[in-house]
Amino acid sequence: MAETVVGGEDVWKVYGAGETEVHALRGLTVDIRRGEMIAIMGPSGCGKTTFLNCFSGLDEITRGRVTIEGTDLHAMSDRQRSEYRAKRTGFVFQSYNLLPVLSAVENVEMPMLIAGAKGTEARARAIEVLTDLGLGDRLHHRPAELSGGQQQRVSLARALVNRPAIVWADEPTGNLDDEGSKLVTSLLRELNRKYSQTMVVVTHDAEVATGCDRTLRMKDGQFVT
Amino acid sequence: MVDPTILVLLLIVLIVFVGSAVVALRNRLTFRIAMRNVRRSRGRTVLLILGLLVGTTIISGSFVVGDTVTQLNLHYTYLGGGYVDEAIYGIAPSGGHLYFPYSTYSQIAQLAGTNPSIAGITPAIIDLTQALDKSTGIPQTNLNLIGTNANQSAALGTFVTDSGAQVAGPVPGQILLDDEGARQMNATVGNTLVLFGPHTLVVKVQAVVQDNVRGAYLTAGLSGGNVFTDLSTAQALQNVSGLINYIAVTNVGSQASGVGLSSSVSSSLNATLTAVTGGAALKVYSPLQTSVANAVASSVNTETIFLVLGLFSIVAGAMLIVGIFVMLAEERKGEMGMLRAVGVQRGDLVRIFYFEGLVYSVGSALAGTFLGVIAGYSLVWAFSILLASGNLTSNAILQSFTVTPISLVESYVLGFLLTIVTVTLASRRASRLNIVRAIRDIPEPPPSVRIYRYLAYLGAVLAALGVLVFATSFRGSSDVSVPVLGGALLILGLGLIASRFFKNRPVFSLVGLALLLWAGAEPLQTAVLGSSHSGGIFVVFVSGILMVAGALLLFVFNSTSLVNGMLRLASGRSGRTPVARVALAHPSRQPARTAITLSIFALVVFTMVAVATFGSTVESNLNTVINNESGGYSIVGFSTSTIPDLPGKVANNSTLAAAFSTVVPLVAGAVNVNATGYSMNPFADTLFAAPTNAGPASNFYSTNRFNFYATLHGMTAAQVWAALQTDPTAAVVDQTYDPAPGAIGGGPVAAHPLVHPGDSVRLSRPGSTGQTSVTILGVLSETILNGIWVNPQTAAATGYLNQTLYFFTVRSGVSISIADTEAKTAFFSAGLVLFDIGSLIATAIAGEEGIITLLEIFVGLGLAVGIAAMGIVALRAVVERRREIGMLRAEGFTQGMVLKAFVLEYSFVTVLGLAIGTSLGVLIVYNLALSPNAAASGIVSFSIPWLNIGIVLAAAYGLAMAAIAGPSWRASRIPPAEAVRSTD
Repeated sequence: MAETVVGGEDVWKVYGAGETEVHALRGLTVDIRRGEMIAIMGPSGCGKTTFLNCFSGLDEITRGRVTIEGTDLHAMSDRQRSEYRAKRTGFVFQSYNLLPVLSAVENVEMPMLIAGAKGTEARARAIEVLTDLGLGDRLHHRPAELSGGQQQRVSLARALVNRPAIVWADEPTGNLDDEGSKLVTSLLRELNRKYSQTMVVVTHDAEVATGCDRTLRMKDGQFVT
Repeated sequence: MVDPTILVLLLIVLIVFVGSAVVALRNRLTFRIAMRNVRRSRGRTVLLILGLLVGTTIISGSFVVGDTVTQLNLHYTYLGGGYVDEAIYGIAPSGGHLYFPYSTYSQIAQLAGTNPSIAGITPAIIDLTQALDKSTGIPQTNLNLIGTNANQSAALGTFVTDSGAQVAGPVPGQILLDDEGARQMNATVGNTLVLFGPHTLVVKVQAVVQDNVRGAYLTAGLSGGNVFTDLSTAQALQNVSGLINYIAVTNVGSQASGVGLSSSVSSSLNATLTAVTGGAALKVYSPLQTSVANAVASSVNTETIFLVLGLFSIVAGAMLIVGIFVMLAEERKGEMGMLRAVGVQRGDLVRIFYFEGLVYSVGSALAGTFLGVIAGYSLVWAFSILLASGNLTSNAILQSFTVTPISLVESYVLGFLLTIVTVTLASRRASRLNIVRAIRDIPEPPPSVRIYRYLAYLGAVLAALGVLVFATSFRGSSDVSVPVLGGALLILGLGLIASRFFKNRPVFSLVGLALLLWAGAEPLQTAVLGSSHSGGIFVVFVSGILMVAGALLLFVFNSTSLVNGMLRLASGRSGRTPVARVALAHPSRQPARTAITLSIFALVVFTMVAVATFGSTVESNLNTVINNESGGYSIVGFSTSTIPDLPGKVANNSTLAAAFSTVVPLVAGAVNVNATGYSMNPFADTLFAAPTNAGPASNFYSTNRFNFYATLHGMTAAQVWAALQTDPTAAVVDQTYDPAPGAIGGGPVAAHPLVHPGDSVRLSRPGSTGQTSVTILGVLSETILNGIWVNPQTAAATGYLNQTLYFFTVRSGVSISIADTEAKTAFFSAGLVLFDIGSLIATAIAGEEGIITLLEIFVGLGLAVGIAAMGIVALRAVVERRREIGMLRAEGFTQGMVLKAFVLEYSFVTVLGLAIGTSLGVLIVYNLALSPNAAASGIVSFSIPWLNIGIVLAAAYGLAMAAIAGPSWRASRIPPAEAVRSTD
């Protein structure tokens, strides 16, 4: 059985206080294995994105414990967590979040540079990944000069360029049309298989979930299956 | 009565308000939206007003400085002018006042005394005297002798003693000493003084009187001193029994209202004088009116220099307003797109911005006006510390602080109009948007071909205008800024036309380079325009703006290459660190926005550095200027009468012989100059001539080292002096006859005949009808002795024989002040007055440096614009880049890296702006300093004040970083989880 990459024990996330207190996560316990591709589904406001933020280290938890590759994520300092994200994780967001002032290749090589790679090495790797994703002829285009699907592929390339242990994707197909959505879904699956990377995909899209190894459904901050 | 200028200005504002109110009533919805935008965020509204008020503050501060300098000048003008509105006197050939019979006064008084505008007519003797206080043993050579009778001079005011008692006038045989005269001799009441003139008198000090409007007559209490006697005592001293040399006329009312009557009273007095004397040597003058006019003109000059240098900050302020509104527009792009989607017209969007801007303009102009008053007071306070010397005390300067209602109104209206016009233009630009792109926040595509066609049309208009301006001004003596501006318009116009056919980058890079060269390369300008143009403070403004614009165009169209080059240079291909990449990507990929911030910093620093470098260059050339002005002599001296064989007497006195190596006597006297084209002929001036038969140690022609600013047919200085020595038709004039073009100045100058080498002028002795024609061979660089130099034969033939002017050269190693005292003591009874030339120039330059320091402080106010710009841009960036920052944090950027990226980005912009401003500021002074005109004034080298510039740059950088510290810190603290999901 593959080792646990992400583990959560009784994880709570509470926003606000007193009358405005909102329990976004209510004692989640989860175990995600290396190479798994998991879909997180649920209605709006059920806590999917909060789960992603808290388990990826983008946000703090209120109570409980999250481990990444055996290390307590929330015991790390901000600097350690940033370093961990730079080296071991990749992110894909619904709105791509590409840096508009950088070209496609510059956006993709950025995580490698942050992780300390040499410029030449980062550039070569970024070109390789973008070419793999069919964007070899769009390397020096800025985000504004790319279609939504192309931008999301650049975003995928950026998430994968560092060969991270785990890729977190938040509604990666939310802004795409059917064709773009299918392409990105198949790419995620293909890359998961090719590189054996763990992928956690928060989605509303049943098609995306179908392609995953398992689906965790959430409601009111808890897993229901 | 209200000043009509105020009424016109208020009318303009009223029209804007009423017009806006009418538009608001007809467009209530847009007005309501605008008002809600104003109330949207109080903090931001305050920030916007702070950003917008800087221009008004600069305008208001300039006016306050002008008002205060006017007040200060007028204070001393009225103090020295006393209650003498008109004066009747003649010029004696020696240069002093001509003596005439007392009966002339009686006749004039009888005829003019009935004029209801005249309060009093006083007969007087005004001359120079020397005094020795026998009680203290201290001599004083430079004293005014003012003789009037107490019973005839009531209209001139009352003396007030230091103990506060009022004195009508001196009693016969006694004198009144003013505070300054008493201070110089340490004299007190009851002391015995010996007065020297043609006769010698022993008198007692009746009282020491205050330097009020009576006691400080002629001196304003600033320099020299006054000895007041009754008329008979003065006549006895001057050996002019029954004669006087001055009639003082006092108009009714206060000094200021009396000046208003001066023209009509002068006219009436002229008629009376003609009736009495038949138009002989006496003339009617209006000394107070002339002095007041000169004082106001001088103040306007100062105000102009402050205002023109402040224009850089005002332009920077306007850029800031554009920047603020562009960012407001970007921030509201989505909602503006929605408004357009639901049917709001583009004009409505313009009106929304306009109404919002109107509120900000009203508030910012008001706040700016009053902040300018505070800034003005701070400058006056600095003035009082830097410029106070002798009797020009700090208190006197501080008490002159003046704010006139018209200045406040002008500041408000100009500030308001500047802001509202800029806001309106920015609003039109901001409201031009594509609805879909605005709603979906899609970046604007590159400009369409149609835009380039319009730009080409605009270019054609600019080029045609440039050709017109250039063609009509490139030859001649117009202000050099006019053809420079014409050339720049042509360059810009051609560039815009070329952009229709070629790629932007090469075209506008070339335009930028051409502007830089045209405005910044002085040899190029001289080659194209020649050297006949006049200069002025405006050329500094025009050249500065053009050079900064050129540098910015070069940056905007080459920013990516610059940044890539910097990244490579800094760390090689492998070192493209993510922080540097992110930090430098924004300024290089958003060059237009960066250019606004850059231009603000570049303009402000340009002026600060230029003023500092100018001051440093003037200071570093002090010795050259002294040599240039002094002709190699150490001391210049005057005597009331000829001291026969002064060089021989000095040579025979062992003490003096050890002190002086050269003693040069010169003939000097009053002369009337008639020049062709001068409307006010004759021009009263001084004539100088040097004897040709003097020995080597007293020969002017072989010992002087005076330089020429211009000569006939390029003659050398030696050739000009040799010609003057032998040619009775030769003459040399000072620079006031042929002012050097390119001299920095501002306001009006007094009328003066203008001649050039080769021109002829006719000379005559005052009171004589015979004229001698001489040809100008050279124009001297020196400005210490103003007048016309002629051959001694010419001088003698015209009746000038008295040697009353002397140049002394102090031997090396001898103290000038000790030599000065020894010579004064030796020739005290002859009334020898001596001045240390170097000290005179150093004092004048010290005053100039004080003004330059003040200008540095004043233009430094513009830094507020840069800081406000930086703060606002950074605040906007935090909001705008929230999601980017979140993504970077998700990718592994630490908080520190985000902070570093912000600091590096704004450091890059700030340092680049500082570098552009500094290099261009140094360049413009380099051009000025090394021009032939500057050389004529003794400026032969150029000096960069590294320490001053270092302080300016460190302060500018530090303040810019302080402005971005808050936003950068906030950016680094953005929680990544929130940021990555933030939606528009």
